[in-house]
Amino acid sequence: MKPLYLLGAALGLSLSVGAAQADKLDSIISSGTLRCAVTLDFPPMGSRDANNEPIGFDVDYCRDLAAALGVDAEIVDTPFPDRIPALVSGRADVGVASTSDTLERAKTVGFSIPYFAFTNVVLTREGTGIETFEDLQGRDVGSVAGVFEALALEEQMTAWGGGSFRPYQSQADVFLALSQGQIEATVVTSTVASAIVESGNFPNLVIGGDAPFGIDYVGLITLRQEYGLINYLDLFVNQQVRTGRYQELYEKWLGGAVAPDLTVPGVYR
Amino acid sequence: MFDYTFQWRQAYRHLPRMLEGALVTLEIAVLSLIIGIVIAVLLAVARDSKSIWLRAPATAWVEVARNTPALFQIYMAHFGLGSFGIYLSPYVALLAGIAFNNAGYLCETFRGALRAIPETQTRAGRSLGMGQAQTFRLIVMPQMFRISFLPTTNQMVWAILMTSLGVTVGMATDLTGITQNLNARTFRTFELFAMAAVLYYLIAKAVMLAARLIAWRLFRY
Repeated sequence: MKPLYLLGAALGLSLSVGAAQADKLDSIISSGTLRCAVTLDFPPMGSRDANNEPIGFDVDYCRDLAAALGVDAEIVDTPFPDRIPALVSGRADVGVASTSDTLERAKTVGFSIPYFAFTNVVLTREGTGIETFEDLQGRDVGSVAGVFEALALEEQMTAWGGGSFRPYQSQADVFLALSQGQIEATVVTSTVASAIVESGNFPNLVIGGDAPFGIDYVGLITLRQEYGLINYLDLFVNQQVRTGRYQELYEKWLGGAVAPDLTVPGVYR
Repeated sequence: MFDYTFQWRQAYRHLPRMLEGALVTLEIAVLSLIIGIVIAVLLAVARDSKSIWLRAPATAWVEVARNTPALFQIYMAHFGLGSFGIYLSPYVALLAGIAFNNAGYLCETFRGALRAIPETQTRAGRSLGMGQAQTFRLIVMPQMFRISFLPTTNQMVWAILMTSLGVTVGMATDLTGITQNLNARTFRTFELFAMAAVLYYLIAKAVMLAARLIAWRLFRY
């Protein structure tokens, strides 16, 4: 009888060790739910429809990922500054929230390969005389605290000297400040700019030329040490492009044209 | 659970910038208190006045300041006035919002203190040949400040902590604004916010200490 006990004990031990070592990918699959941190203040990537339901490119992208994993998708509304706390505290498994993949941030979180790419434009009010990016010199400008274009714009304003830069807490506050005249211009992703101009909510806003910030590649994010999950995310992004789903989602949310190229010429990733 | 490696050394590198922010926070808190106390004294007098034209606006101020969130008051100072074409910079809007709030709360604190001062004090002052304003300034007001000192320190701490609401109107140079910016750049949320919390604690302690020193000097018999 004795060896049987030992075998039982060993089996129990190995099971409990196995459970402790289950990684994020396993725990998502076994829990049956994928919780995505999505920023719902960033149309057309993420917003809410008339019934207060989450919609947008990032929302659909999360649902595709959940379908691929064979689990249910749960959208966790996460403002830009809260993306990392949401991941670290375990409120969300993956961030599908247009996160720019800077080296500084990659020290803290793990990025997938880029799943989308933005370009930025100047958005201003009628009558400010701002037609190009260079016209922003010495002006009062603002943007959403902590996003790629805000960091780049603040850096440029500091380099120029004069004028001021104001970080607001949400995209809505930036548009409000701009339409009121608190600030004279902002820099936003071209997708957001055309969405807001077309929406007609702020009739006095106009697009004032491209911002020379380079292409803003954004990745899916998760905890840095979750290699199994990051590996899966990479393949998922690749499959989205390969199957044409990426182009399909682009047409659905951003209109006609060809979806942005997600590769950087001349280098591996 | 909490699956994260804390990197304090990375966060410490940003301490000098956060200290600059702490200085701005302290500056706004102290200015808002001075402005708040001056207005609060006027409001307290106006609320006890016989004239409805003084009493009504003072009562309205106190009602709004005490019964709406400070966040709303600061937001209104920036975006609310902005819709009428009056543009306050984030710094001024934050200062105005907190001073407005301070004035409303401190007014009631002071009014309570005034109730505690016997009417005979005023009569004694007047019978010594002092004018009404002179009596208030030299006899009543010093006692009012002494009686209300401890409740006033509450508002001092509250004013410091309220400055963190400035981020909602685009304030970038105070402690919370700088912490948020560093957080966006580095994603070291937990380290940076923990450091900010410690700095707020130290600012509050420093202001309390200064207030106690001033009180010890001013209010002793």
